[in-house]
Amino acid sequence: MKKFLGLILTLGVIVVALAAPWLAPADPFATDFTSGLKPPGSPGHPFGTDQLGRDLLARVLFGARVALFIGVCTVLVTALVGGALGLVAGFVERWPSTVIMRLADVQLSFPFILLALTINAIVGLGLRNIIVSLSAAGWVVYARVVRSEVLSVKEREYVQAAAALGVGQLRLLLRHVLPNVAPSIIVVASLQFSQFVVAEAAISFLGFGVQPPTPAWGSMLSESRDFLYVAWWLAAFPGAALALTALGVNLVGDWLRDSLDPKLRV
Amino acid sequence: MRRQGSAVGIMLVTVVAVVAAVLPAAAQDRTKTKEVVVGLGAEPRTMLGVTIVDWTTNNMLEHIYDRLLDRDAKTLKPKPMLATSWKIINDTTWEFALRKGVKFHNGEPFDAQSVKATFDYMLDPANKSHYATPAYWKPLKEVQIVDPYTVRLITDKPYPSVIDHASLTDLLIMPAKALREQGPQKLAEKPIGTGPFKFVEWRRDERLVLERNSDYWQGPADVSRVTFRFIPEFSARMAALLSGEIDIMKDVPPHTIEAVERSGRAKVRSTVSSRINYLALVNLKPGPMQDVRVRRAMNHAVNVDELITQVLRGHATKMCGPLAPTNVDFSPVDCYKYDPARAQALFKEAGVDPKSLNLTLDTPSGRYPLDKDVSLAIAAQLQRLGIHTNVVVNEWGTHLDKIKNRNTGDMFFLGWGPALHGQGTIEPLFKADATYSSYGNNKVLDDKIAKAVTIVDAKARAAAYAELQKLVHDEAPWVFLWQQHDLYGVAQSVEWTPRADEKVWMYEAKITPR
Amino acid sequence: MRAFIATRLAQTVLVVFLSLTAVFLMVRLSGDPVLLFMPMDIQAKDVNEYRQRLGFNDPLIVQYGRFVKGAVRGDFGESLRYRRDAFGLVLERLPATLLLAGTAIVLTLAIAVPLGIVTAVRRDSAIDHVGTVLTVLGQATPGFWLGLMLMYLFAVQLRWLPTGGIGGLSHLVMPSIVLAAFYAARVARLTRSALLEALGEDYVLTARAKGLAEPRVVAKHALRNSAIPIVTLAGLEAGQLLGGAVITETIFAWPGLGRLTVQALLNRDFPVVMAAVWFTSIVYTLANLVVDLAYGWLDPRVRQRS
Repeated sequence: MKKFLGLILTLGVIVVALAAPWLAPADPFATDFTSGLKPPGSPGHPFGTDQLGRDLLARVLFGARVALFIGVCTVLVTALVGGALGLVAGFVERWPSTVIMRLADVQLSFPFILLALTINAIVGLGLRNIIVSLSAAGWVVYARVVRSEVLSVKEREYVQAAAALGVGQLRLLLRHVLPNVAPSIIVVASLQFSQFVVAEAAISFLGFGVQPPTPAWGSMLSESRDFLYVAWWLAAFPGAALALTALGVNLVGDWLRDSLDPKLRV
Repeated sequence: MRRQGSAVGIMLVTVVAVVAAVLPAAAQDRTKTKEVVVGLGAEPRTMLGVTIVDWTTNNMLEHIYDRLLDRDAKTLKPKPMLATSWKIINDTTWEFALRKGVKFHNGEPFDAQSVKATFDYMLDPANKSHYATPAYWKPLKEVQIVDPYTVRLITDKPYPSVIDHASLTDLLIMPAKALREQGPQKLAEKPIGTGPFKFVEWRRDERLVLERNSDYWQGPADVSRVTFRFIPEFSARMAALLSGEIDIMKDVPPHTIEAVERSGRAKVRSTVSSRINYLALVNLKPGPMQDVRVRRAMNHAVNVDELITQVLRGHATKMCGPLAPTNVDFSPVDCYKYDPARAQALFKEAGVDPKSLNLTLDTPSGRYPLDKDVSLAIAAQLQRLGIHTNVVVNEWGTHLDKIKNRNTGDMFFLGWGPALHGQGTIEPLFKADATYSSYGNNKVLDDKIAKAVTIVDAKARAAAYAELQKLVHDEAPWVFLWQQHDLYGVAQSVEWTPRADEKVWMYEAKITPR
Repeated sequence: MRAFIATRLAQTVLVVFLSLTAVFLMVRLSGDPVLLFMPMDIQAKDVNEYRQRLGFNDPLIVQYGRFVKGAVRGDFGESLRYRRDAFGLVLERLPATLLLAGTAIVLTLAIAVPLGIVTAVRRDSAIDHVGTVLTVLGQATPGFWLGLMLMYLFAVQLRWLPTGGIGGLSHLVMPSIVLAAFYAARVARLTRSALLEALGEDYVLTARAKGLAEPRVVAKHALRNSAIPIVTLAGLEAGQLLGGAVITETIFAWPGLGRLTVQALLNRDFPVVMAAVWFTSIVYTLANLVVDLAYGWLDPRVRQRS
């Protein structure tokens, strides 16, 4: 039941993102000062308009593209970096493991906004800033999870047997350990995906959001704060889109975990 | 287990009921006890006068301290306060007659010693006061005590803005004896002044509480207690206004006015501010904006009236030159009319094809009313002529950095204020070596500015500044935009009129219980 | 065991030191501090004079040396913005932060653990589905949005609670709910999966075969064993909460450490940033250490390996 809901929602978001130009009733970037802040149901604007007269439905639809882009990019970067580090930490152990784990501690112990601010100084505000900032913070989960997975896989009999047979370290890692760890990476990725998409809202709140006129749900939500008492739809629709996407991807992640590796404690 | 559950349930209901009953009553009580709560986004940086230049800080300090001179709320012209009169002895000497019978909150009497001690503190390099810089009091050479109620200020060169500075928070008088005995650090925690309110407590990042000084020389305030609450999030401030927790809130955005009025708890009062907004056209680095014809074309290409009506909902007052009527040195200049045809002609004259233009506009977000939206709207207007504009939103610190390092695009959005006198506006904004300037390297203008800032005679000064304004207008270093309107949400029970110099001064407020 | 603690403590010091160094470098990369606390009509040469006086024109390595010498003593200098001892400002915020963090943790555990247990025990039932949706929504709803919605409903419309600030119990309600919503979701999901795993283990089968009643099986056997990861997560989250919950504190005008850190960062108030990070990184790494120790103590298998 949950699995179907998850799949439907996730596929729905992907379809919307791909088909946005055909589904949208208007250009999401077209401003029209005379029709600012129109409520939902106004002619030509089923979801209403924002303060610059841009159609909200169009912006929500195109926002799906940005959300998926952020999610996919960040997940790829964090999975690759974090996964690799976790593999090394778990497989080699001893001091590389200590270094990597303590590095993770350093990462977690200083404020995220500092990262965003520094990156802002280098690349400015925008999608690149968001992806880099989120990746810099997000690799830690992979590293930790993968490391503990590798540690437990290493204890398994067939791995020990292969080692006893004299199989080389690298081959051991790639052919025996990695395939067993891959499911956990996938599960973490799917759960992190929705986290990243939601985190974009928090980043926008702190002032490091996308550059206008890019439609991104998180930054639309953040901007809607100023209009909370006059235009509820500016918060409602992007917020609902965000919540439904997160719900869908999360349920898919749960299903993946249950079928691939129920013992995973994520 | 179930009995515990229902006991907890009953407790919860009781708590909620009690809380619900207590809260609205608390808000009503405030009008009976004549207390007022002001909601602000930032907190002050110190409780010492003449140390740090910061709007919020100075706004609070004006409740605790007095200035030598005051400004009339409507005309914004200087008038007596702690000084009863002044006269110019010569080009570099100003004499002030001081008011008798004024006491500080700790009983210490106010006299010429207080004025001297304040200046001594301010100009002492050890105190790192912002006011010891050339834009403020650096030209002051000496403070002479003629007698206990007469003091002379001697400057090292002719400095006509002495009166302007003495009538602003640039000179808040502090107690000589307390400064000497307690030292600035102690006074920074428990300030002592002659103002209409006494310091009660400052809970950092939470609230500042002041109470009425019943011995105030102008007569006690109507308000018995002022609490400034620091609420950084705008919608939370709005919520606090609508729920009755705060009585006054600054910067209500134009589109929220109806919501505030509809609530019945508060009204929106507005005033034309002395703070100006403008679109700087950067000529300090190579680019299309170095050609004066292009800059004039931009002034014809941007429809300022449309921006004011559509984006700001009418809440701005158009400006045609660098100074606004609230500036003491203002004189009128012609307006650049919105005229796309004229813009096209000027572009052609300059050999520029608008369709090939790819401009960058730097803007902050949330610093000035609808700054980001205005920038986006300007970009859309320019698009009508085929000009492509890339709007870059900067975090505030980054924005300032970029401007200082001349790293912005071809244009940037900025505000300036309170812009109450010509020197404070023209000198820092149109010279190549000024920190936040976008325009410079005009020898004629530089010379005229250098001369104008030394003229003490009122008529000559007016003429010099009139000439400056015309020159700046013709050079079109900005797309001249507007004076902000300051929109305040004010509770129904509070009688208070906003001021053009942005001061939220509770001495002027009256509470009418309902 | 003692060797383990000693090594970990040494590593803690290293982590804090590295953290501070990283922050030192990043903060200096992020922009010029002087501009932000100077009036706008300042002249370029005055800006330079201030930079000189505050030591910002010295070579980076010299600044770093100065900073380290002070940091070891807990002296981070004077706040650029407030002209008061930077570390003192951090300490001032502690009570408020502790209050909010403590309440949030208690609330989190009170909601999440029972929810996790119920959804695990009644797996795939209606309760489980509802529970899952709630936990996902808890993590998917941006904190500021939830906070503003609650504020609108309870403070503006109903007037049951104040919009913010610190004061009495009523001021704590909304901020701690907003914090708990997010953290409780994570803990609930973890509790569920840890308990499910424990319930599948052999010793549970044995207990059931012995004829023990189900609630006893769950509480005495399964729960005890799944306590470990729950405690781990709760400990780490406590560490994070003590660093201050930036968004919640900003929305509800709560005078905590998170808000101070963010404001200091946006104002480029270096001394305060360094003092705040010094504090939070120590707290976080200590929390980590405590959790690891507790993990080792609770699970003998882990102790053996390390």
